[in-house]
Amino acid sequence: MSNVSITTAIPMLLKAVPRSRNFEAVLLFWVSGMHAFALAQVQLSVLQRMQWDMLFYWGLPTLAALVMHYILRKHAVSSDGLLLPLAFLLNGLGIAMIYRLDLAEIARGSVDLYAERQVWLTCFAILAAAFIVRVFKDPLVLRKYPFISGLGAIVLLAMPAFPVIGRTINGATLWIGVGDLTFQPGEIAKVLLAIFFAGYLVSRQAQLSEIGARVFGVRLPRAKDLGPILLFWIASLGVLVLQRDLGTSILYFGLFLVMIYTATGRGFYVGIGIVMMITGALVASRLFGYVESRFDSWLDPFSQSNYEAVGGSYQIVQGLFGMANGDVIGAGLGGGYPQLIPLAESDFIFAALGEELGLAGVFAILSIFLLIVYRGLRVANSHPDDFSKLLAMGLSFVIALQVFVVAGGVMGLLPLTGLTTPFLAAGGSSLLANWSIIALLLITSHSSLRKKPV
Amino acid sequence: MSELALFLVRIGFVAVLWVFILSLLSVIRADLYGRRVISRIARQNQPSLSTESVSELGIEDADSFEPTHIFIITGRNAGSSLDIVGKKEILIGRAASSDLVIGDEFASGLHAKLVLVGEDWVLQDLNSTNGTFLDGKKVTTPATIQAGMNIRIGTTNFELRA
Repeated sequence: MSNVSITTAIPMLLKAVPRSRNFEAVLLFWVSGMHAFALAQVQLSVLQRMQWDMLFYWGLPTLAALVMHYILRKHAVSSDGLLLPLAFLLNGLGIAMIYRLDLAEIARGSVDLYAERQVWLTCFAILAAAFIVRVFKDPLVLRKYPFISGLGAIVLLAMPAFPVIGRTINGATLWIGVGDLTFQPGEIAKVLLAIFFAGYLVSRQAQLSEIGARVFGVRLPRAKDLGPILLFWIASLGVLVLQRDLGTSILYFGLFLVMIYTATGRGFYVGIGIVMMITGALVASRLFGYVESRFDSWLDPFSQSNYEAVGGSYQIVQGLFGMANGDVIGAGLGGGYPQLIPLAESDFIFAALGEELGLAGVFAILSIFLLIVYRGLRVANSHPDDFSKLLAMGLSFVIALQVFVVAGGVMGLLPLTGLTTPFLAAGGSSLLANWSIIALLLITSHSSLRKKPV
Repeated sequence: MSELALFLVRIGFVAVLWVFILSLLSVIRADLYGRRVISRIARQNQPSLSTESVSELGIEDADSFEPTHIFIITGRNAGSSLDIVGKKEILIGRAASSDLVIGDEFASGLHAKLVLVGEDWVLQDLNSTNGTFLDGKKVTTPATIQAGMNIRIGTTNFELRA
């Protein structure tokens, strides 16, 4: 090594903590710089000058991330060093894009702004994640309460259907609200469901995988053991029917299938689950008009009738045009026209980023998601305890599936759904849920018995 | 700002994003090749292996417990042993599919398992009816096994021996 003198001069302080923490600090510094770069680029190309209010959009989230880093040093020193910078990078990119859309809205004379709120919500979500790390320390604590989390998830899922507080926005009943404050309880429910599944499956593992009569070489589970899968199939279709949202039901059912497959190692469950889900979705598309119109806009977005229909393919087509305009290297932050896409700051932020950062940027964003999921799966793989394994597996899969469904919907690969893009989209419930997932993955990796390289 | 400057900034941001992602590959490489790579770097960082650090290594060697077999002390299979060299996971239970089959009335079909984590064997109870005991203490969370520790399932006692 060329700089031995520097490495030997590093004080003992740095050697006392695992390498991952110091690496995290360096990465956070870098990510924070990229965040400032993005904001400066937005201001320079839209306003042609830099303004002091950039410090607000840059400083507060960076401060929150540093608080999280400090809490990790204090309470989860050997946890994974990449998760926090990666999630923070996506969060910062989201803020920059929302701020850029706000500037376009101001130019248009609109007062419908999101960026300032997004900054506060980001700080709140990161501090909530720090709080989770501070309080729990070990995910095994959660194993004691599977049914409380399961019940909590069901109550949260049912809340939007309650009379006074339930809200229906853009045809989907996914929100609750008091006055101007709205909240999407389904986002938090996915974390609780992962805890419930992990707790339930870890105690039923043997029954589900070992017992049952063999029919044509396939071991069928007992009705008693198959019961929960049927129950969840019906429940997730119920969400689809009552709340009018395809994405949420795919997310919950997918989570359940992956966790039962991880717990039992039997492809049979995945096979029968996918068949059941597709059957259910096809029946629903025949029975309910809104599912059918979603399917039509997906299969043929460019047809005149779909394009002009209310709630038709206009949004998808605008997104596709935007991404086409972005080309390979993109129009540059502030250089495109993402404000022409309806809901560009939330549902279609992926298309907005696709236009301004181009194909190269979209692949970069997908790689960041991939790295987050990879680190989560690595936590699951290296943890000796089955509950923590299942929990980490479920939580990382939730992020992967959600990104797949959202990005697929925006690109026209899948029917459009009401799911949010993790960390990028404007909205507090989504930020809170996804930062909680990061916090749980961090404490799981900290509690892993595997010795960390120091 | 001029067109050219904006163009450079535009390319620059995407480039910085990619440099960031590619630099993370170094960490992932360390992941894949594990501690060997890191310990080599660590050794390079301490060029002078003084007598002090040698003795440190010596202590580490004495500390590391590398069992080669499981020896059953009491119970129906008392006196028999199971070779565990090269194995990563050992399932213990009454079921014939277990790696270590114990004919004990108090053992569950799939009772407990031993997992090799790094260089340590970790004992985990698989929600057995009558519990697994490590040195007389009930195993509720995965526990690392040290040299000479006694594992009890029902009336069967066994231990890991080097």
